[in-house]
Order: sequence, then C-alpha cells, then structure tokens
Amino acid sequence: MHDLAYVAAGYAATGAAIGGYRWRLAVRLRRARRYVATTTGRGRG
Amino acid sequence: MRRFYRLLSALGTVRAQRILGWATGIGLLVTAVTALAVVPADADQGDVQRLMYVHVPAAWVAFLSFGVVFAASVGYLRTGRIHWDRIAVSSAEIGVLFCALTIVLGSLWGRPVWGTWWTWDPRLTTTALLLLIYLGYLSLRKVADSPARRARWSAVVGVIGFIDVPIVHMSVVWWRSLHQQATVLRPGSPTIAGSMLATLLLAFLVFNLAYGYLMAVRLRVGRLEERGAIPVSAPRARRPQAAVAPAGGVSNA
Repeated sequence: MHDLAYVAAGYAATGAAIGGYRWRLAVRLRRARRYVATTTGRGRG
Repeated sequence: MRRFYRLLSALGTVRAQRILGWATGIGLLVTAVTALAVVPADADQGDVQRLMYVHVPAAWVAFLSFGVVFAASVGYLRTGRIHWDRIAVSSAEIGVLFCALTIVLGSLWGRPVWGTWWTWDPRLTTTALLLLIYLGYLSLRKVADSPARRARWSAVVGVIGFIDVPIVHMSVVWWRSLHQQATVLRPGSPTIAGSMLATLLLAFLVFNLAYGYLMAVRLRVGRLEERGAIPVSAPRARRPQAAVAPAGGVSNA
C-alpha cells in the first residue's frame, strides 16, 4: 500500500471517529429530549 | 475543585456548545489542510509521518480525558455528589474513543515504518491496557444496580486506572521500545523542525477544542438522561410507589 493511502486512512479514521461519536450523541440527545418531553412536558436541556 | 466544576458546567451550555462546535469544525479542517498540504514531508519517513499530526494529539486527548476522569472520581469520592460521576463517565467515553483512535493511527503509521501492524512493544502494550481499563470502567457501569453504587465503583476504578497514564508516557524511557522517544514533552527543547512543531501545536489546540466540544454535548446528554432516567442498558422494572412508613416505623432510606 502506498504511504499516502495510510495517511488518507488515518485522517479518514479521525474524521469518522469524531463525526461518528458526535452523531451518536445527537441521537442520544434527541431520544433523551423526546423522553423528557413526554414525561415532564419540557424538552430543553 | 469548584472552579473545575464551574468550567465544565459552562461547557454544558447550548451557547458554549455552538461556539465550540464551529471552532472545532473549522479547526479540524485547517489542521488537515496544513498537515497534508502545507507542512513539508519528513526527510526520513516521507508522507506517512503526516499521521503524527493526528496520532499524537489523539493520544494527548486520551490522557487529558482520563485525567479528568481521575479528578472527577476524586471529586465524587470526596463529596458524593452525582455531577462528578456525570463528568467522569462523559470524559471516560471520550477517552476511550481517542485511545482507540490512537491505537488505530499508530497501527497505520507502524505498518509502513516498522513493517508490522502491531507488536508487543511496551508503549503499545501499555496503551492497549489503558484502553481495556477504561472499557472495563464503562462496562462496570452497566453492571451496578444502583446509581450510588455505580458511581462509587466507577470512581474507584477511575482513580486506580489513571496509574497507567504515566506508565504509558514513561514506557519509552523505562523499557527498550520500538516507539520513538518524546519529541515535544521532554526535558530540554523539542527535537522537531519549527514548521512541524507549529502544525503539531495547532493540532493539539484543535483536538483540545474537540474534547471540550464533545464534553459539552455529552454533559447535556447526561443531564437529560438523568432527568428522564432513561435506562442505559436493560430496561428496568418500574419502581413501586414509595411506601408510607407507619408512625414510629423504621425506614430503609
């Protein structure tokens, strides 16, 4: 494999890790907001 | 300790989150462009050395995260306040993410330079152990049956587990290692070219912002999940209505 392929894979992995975790947090945030909104009537955290 | 908590609480506001989000996104883009297109390639390793600008800051953020887990765990054990536990688990999640990323990036760097994806080198082994310790920390939280017990057990692991962080950092000094010695965090001046050092410092700054941003969002998630008492793992049985103790009776509370 060419050196640049390792570099590209590394930077892609970094972006995917940070972006993926942020996306996962967004899903959890939406779910928690929805849950709180239905149980208490207030959705903002 | 109070100032530390206030700082972390401020990160949990929507405004701080938005500012940090934009700063992190732009920062990551600028860092990637600088590291890939502006700074020159290493004379010995060539282009593959550009992985340093993400590998080293990722390792730093993992250390920082576990340092915050340690401080918050001490805070919980001293005060018993649950917000310290929330900070600790938020930071532990981010630490695990960046520790795993460090290992993946190191592996991608090691293959062309060392000729192998993985070797049982002291630095690599202690880093893998660090990842396992904090994966254990997160797993332990799913086992404990009450929030107080979960927080106490986690805090103990959060304090003891941090012992591995200085061991990881010093492993290249204490034992014979394939991994290179420290080039920036070392006694004396850094052994790295000026433009590379500047790019690396930029990457450190941006990764710290990313940590702050992810902490901000994770703290909000944690607060909301606690408010709604959303089950983290298996759905729990509904709690029975609080019994009214008879006059003169003994309460378990």
